[in-house]
Amino acid sequence: MSTREAIALPELPSLSKLYVSALSTAARTKLGALERSHALPHVQHTVTGVQVSLEHVTTFQHLLHGTVRDSLPSVFVHSAAFPVVMSVLTRPDFPLPLLGMVHLGNRVRHLRSIDYSEPLAVTAWAENLAGHHAGTCVDVRVDVQAAGENVWEGTSTYLAKGLYVPGLDKASRPERQDFVPPQPTAKWRLGPEAGREYAAVSGDFNPIHLSALSAKILGLKRSIAHGMYLAARVINSVEAVAAEPFAWDIEFAAPVFLPATVALRIEDHEADGRWDSADFTGWGERSHRKHFSGSVRAL
Amino acid sequence: MAASPDVSAASTDSAAGAGIRKAVVIGGNRIPFARANGAYTNASNQDMLTAALDGLVARFGLQDERIGEVAAGAVLKHSRDFNLTREAVLGSALSPETPVYDLQQACATGLETVMGLANKIKLGQIESGIAGGVDSASDAPIAVSEGLRAVLLELNRAKTLQQKLTAVAKLRPKDLAPNAPGTAEPRTGLSMGEHQALTTAAWNIPREAQDELALASHKNLAAAYDRGFFDDLVTPYHGLTRDANLRADTSLEKLGKLGPVFGKSLGEKATMTAGNSTPLTDGASTVLIGSEDYARAHDLPMLADIVDSEAAAVDFVHGKEGLLMAPAYAVPRLLARNNLTFDDFDYFEIHEAFAGTVLCHLAAWESEEFCRNKLGLDKPLGAIDRSKVNVNGSSLAAGHPFAATGGRIVATLAKLLHEKAAAEGNRGRGLISVCAAGGQGVVAILEAR
Repeated sequence: MSTREAIALPELPSLSKLYVSALSTAARTKLGALERSHALPHVQHTVTGVQVSLEHVTTFQHLLHGTVRDSLPSVFVHSAAFPVVMSVLTRPDFPLPLLGMVHLGNRVRHLRSIDYSEPLAVTAWAENLAGHHAGTCVDVRVDVQAAGENVWEGTSTYLAKGLYVPGLDKASRPERQDFVPPQPTAKWRLGPEAGREYAAVSGDFNPIHLSALSAKILGLKRSIAHGMYLAARVINSVEAVAAEPFAWDIEFAAPVFLPATVALRIEDHEADGRWDSADFTGWGERSHRKHFSGSVRAL
Repeated sequence: MAASPDVSAASTDSAAGAGIRKAVVIGGNRIPFARANGAYTNASNQDMLTAALDGLVARFGLQDERIGEVAAGAVLKHSRDFNLTREAVLGSALSPETPVYDLQQACATGLETVMGLANKIKLGQIESGIAGGVDSASDAPIAVSEGLRAVLLELNRAKTLQQKLTAVAKLRPKDLAPNAPGTAEPRTGLSMGEHQALTTAAWNIPREAQDELALASHKNLAAAYDRGFFDDLVTPYHGLTRDANLRADTSLEKLGKLGPVFGKSLGEKATMTAGNSTPLTDGASTVLIGSEDYARAHDLPMLADIVDSEAAAVDFVHGKEGLLMAPAYAVPRLLARNNLTFDDFDYFEIHEAFAGTVLCHLAAWESEEFCRNKLGLDKPLGAIDRSKVNVNGSSLAAGHPFAATGGRIVATLAKLLHEKAAAEGNRGRGLISVCAAGGQGVVAILEAR
């Protein structure tokens, strides 16, 4: 993608301002004042000198039930880079509407331990606009650099439900596979406050996460847990045993309506007597619906 | 027994090798164990441990005696109980010049205190020791929530009124709900019972076998009380003369009527009930140990030698091994180091955290696959004669005040071995196995005197 225009932002944009701009773009598109683009903008946004606060990392680690370390949890890096991602998604020439976009999954390569004090350069761009049986999906790529080298590379896949971009083939619906819960190895009890607590540390104040009432207004029966909170907790459970560098991926299925008891199975695999990878699955203890699955692998 | 590298990795020197003295069990004393929120509701850990110590002092004439060292502990501790055992000793008739330390290794606390002090005796550092443990599930510590705690600590650090108000403003209504201690493993969120239910199902242990083990525990403990076995091991306390959980009249029919309480998501494979799982219990136990010289000089009995012990831990966090299966790994290592097999033992004291725990261990040691793949042995450890297991009952009947269980077992087994030796003129051996939270386990060998 050598054709991507590099745009340097002076600082991390404010998430709330980006949400407001997304609302105005949505309104203008609806009113016909703005024509929706049919292709991804050939740009990448970069913010350099991103400095995370130790207090913020510590709060994040507490929320995950993790150990307070000076290195950044892998999902924290996603959260720290998220404003740059949002600046791409809220561009007026971005072909998919931000509001109502569904997070399908993530793939991350965590290339080395990142100390909280290191200034980071975050670059985000979008690629792979593709047809999906339920709409159109897109990959948002993030490279995080420290001292001039890539230390974290992530891909998040989002789906704009019900929106079909002309010229993209609609993918056929994959066959639904019945989910039979395996034997659990752990259990999380998530209270109704789980969404608000993660919103406070991640800055993702989407109303579907905040309260039963705000979620109802948006058509959900109750508030739902952030996908990245679930990812952060499960990756944290494995990160301790995974040697760096490592890669992880997660695919989200049914949302976790709060409060909830999530049953979890994490299965470690060894190669040559050393930890090699772990597979994980989370599901509703009572509903038996799969919430997410994925893996962590040594690189 | 052909030992694999796994099993023989530890030192091959016998603990009773040249230059090391013997440590012997002289006797024990405990208070009857009470079900939680029963007879000992208003007694603290310190009260109960002091009561058990007082009984031991009275039984062996230890008034004003300066013991080499006293070690005991509790699993559920109030923050004020940082010196729990020292406070209990100061409140007892022992010399206040007796040094003391607290120890905590979850349910293995009691057994580990015996082994730690026995090692000091063997090395000649002390002549006598009192090991013990206590736990109260009734008088459990309740902590304020993390939110309130954070606010209180910040308030404590605040210097100006503004800082104080900022701290208080962070308080949320939910922060006022207290935190009671639970039995959930911090890293998995599953309770000990839920963990064991998964292991029990994985080993296909039938419900009937668990109920039969529970029944045997009650029958054996009741029979031991009836023949006076515990007369010199238990001192009545707070209205109890026998363990309150003991149901001498229980039956397979009664046990069979109970519904499953753990692993309910397993459906038909849910086999663990309130009858074949230990209840939350209050109680305390103590064991007097010493060198042979100490026992002779004080004209005290020598019931059994404390031969050797071994600890193990398993990786349960992602389910690689069952939470309570560590003794399955510790036992073969201990046997190999001492050049012994199951045939060399007259008694097996396998702590009944749950009937399933005992049965999973027996099944594991009989399993060729487990012994080969997990223990690295070329043949199974073999079957244990069930008539030698927990012959005077165990935790399912007596109850399990976590840290007090080790002392109960050591004193019981030492007396059993001594009685058999006196009657038959041989020196039998007993094997102790105790599982503990956090995927740990401690096992030990006693030999009759």
